[in-house]
Amino acid sequence: MASLLQPDRVLYLVRGEKKIRAPLSQLYFCRYCSELRSLECVSHEVDSHYCPSCLENMPSAEAKLKKNRCANCFDCPCCMHTLSTRATNIPAPLPDDPTKTAMKKAYYLACGFCRWTSRDVGMADKSVGTFNVVDRTSIKAGCNYCDFSVILCVKEKYGLGTRLQRQRPGAPVSALYGLSLKEGEEQKEVSIEPAQALDEVEPLPEDCYTRPINLPEVTTLRQRLLQPDFQPAGASQLHPKHKHLLMKRSLRCRKCEHNLSKPEFNPTSIKFKIQLVAVSYIPEVRIMSIPNLRHMKESQVLLTLTNPVESITHVSLFTCEEGDPDDINSTAKVMVPAKELVLAGKDAAAEYDELAEPQDFQDDPDVVAFRKSNKIGFFIKVIPQQEEGDVTVAFKIRHDFRNLAAPIRPSEDGETPSEVIWLVHHVELSLGPLIA
Amino acid sequence: HTHTHTHTHTHTCVPCECTVSLGPRTVVHPKARIIAEAGPIIIGEGNLIEEQALIINSYPENIMPDSEGVEPKTMTIGVNNVFEVGCVSQALKIGDNNVIESKADVGRNVILTSGCIIGACCQVNTCEVIPENTVIYGSGCMRRVQTERPQPQTLQLDFLMKILPNYHHLKKTVKGNSTPARS
Repeated sequence: MASLLQPDRVLYLVRGEKKIRAPLSQLYFCRYCSELRSLECVSHEVDSHYCPSCLENMPSAEAKLKKNRCANCFDCPCCMHTLSTRATNIPAPLPDDPTKTAMKKAYYLACGFCRWTSRDVGMADKSVGTFNVVDRTSIKAGCNYCDFSVILCVKEKYGLGTRLQRQRPGAPVSALYGLSLKEGEEQKEVSIEPAQALDEVEPLPEDCYTRPINLPEVTTLRQRLLQPDFQPAGASQLHPKHKHLLMKRSLRCRKCEHNLSKPEFNPTSIKFKIQLVAVSYIPEVRIMSIPNLRHMKESQVLLTLTNPVESITHVSLFTCEEGDPDDINSTAKVMVPAKELVLAGKDAAAEYDELAEPQDFQDDPDVVAFRKSNKIGFFIKVIPQQEEGDVTVAFKIRHDFRNLAAPIRPSEDGETPSEVIWLVHHVELSLGPLIA
Repeated sequence: HTHTHTHTHTHTCVPCECTVSLGPRTVVHPKARIIAEAGPIIIGEGNLIEEQALIINSYPENIMPDSEGVEPKTMTIGVNNVFEVGCVSQALKIGDNNVIESKADVGRNVILTSGCIIGACCQVNTCEVIPENTVIYGSGCMRRVQTERPQPQTLQLDFLMKILPNYHHLKKTVKGNSTPARS
């Protein structure tokens, strides 16, 4: 059953600043601290910016200048899809001879998903393939200055906003103090009057109740708020915006300051320079089959354990003790195999090597159901304690971990034995609902 | 000239003319199904019906085929429409220049005027006349009105009319269209 393999059925506990339970595929492993790390206990750093459609790389300074937007790509204001440039042939008079017409190429923007075109807004077709959306923000735009987002856009345009936004909370706001001016530009005074409460408001237009609503013309909130400086209420005023840049980030352990994940700089590459993910260091538990679970009846659940490293790993399982502070979710008693389980190393060339001797591990058939290269299937016994609800069990895994990070002291024999440390993880499984 | 690869079903228990007639310059891809169950289907010219598309004039759900008083309703499809791959169309009246995109589902009580585009995977089961130049798109079947109507696919039709006979067997159709042609 494919639903048993869903990642959130098996959760590992991360003991960081907060206790987080997450599937192993979403966790990282700091091999210097020998601890699991989740996304919330690492620091995220921006590596590079890139556009998701044209995959153009941009250094951070340039990205900041362009307000994190790509210069070449546009987003449809209607459905937020990427716009594509299309060309049509229109007859146009030749520049030398006005009487003759020749076919000229005219370019316009079109969306393949909702069929929006730049002609809908009144943008003229261009004879060159590049488009530049004119920045229409201006102080005299006639919009309501009580709207804070409008104020912010106006200030950003004139370079006044950035210093203001970095004010420390609680400190008095000094509006134009200490700003660096570009050469040749005068300091533009942006005076925005505070809103005044009025007794008389503009009356509604007379045909407000009788005029039929033109629904296709009304913009949705999402379309409106994606353009915070104008927030047009009519669909015929929705102009396309430049596409937002995405960023590549690298993760760093907060305790030892080592990098846990560092992607390659090139936006077309999905590889990583450093990739310390948990699935390549910690044995993974997965649910293979669940029988019908009944209240207070013992059932056998088949789990699999996979060894990600190339050396033999010894795994032993423990039940959680009474009053274990980590064990808050379990609704069933579990009996785990008492013996230590041995997992063979992951051998990438095993399928090609025909002469390999099958390793003899002498498994107890009551405990180990099957063994296949670096994976074993084993049984646990579950007794649901509650009459209703989902059955959740928890236990602890203890396994040996060879630290392949460079040893600090060279050994005396000349060989470098890797240290073996024993790690304990708390694992929770959600086995699904009870059958009455 | 028309290329046909169609099924026509005739129910012998209910005497009715259940035929399919296709206009000139209409291209029907192999594996398309045009089923005239509860009435004839008249398809105009210049239409493009792609693979695995299903155009069916079926009985409404609560009416048994044998009940009396059921008049066969004609399904009319206009010119220059495009039925993309895998779409299902049961609409009784379709105008001109419409595009029903892949895996869209158009119900029986919908009337498409002209220039409408039913987006991919959109199900339109309402009982209404879709105004001209409407685009239905997205998982929530959002609607908007476009200013241009979709262009007729003349280039595609010409290309297909040359290429398809090179790769598929074609049965000769008998003039009159009243005999069922099993393929």
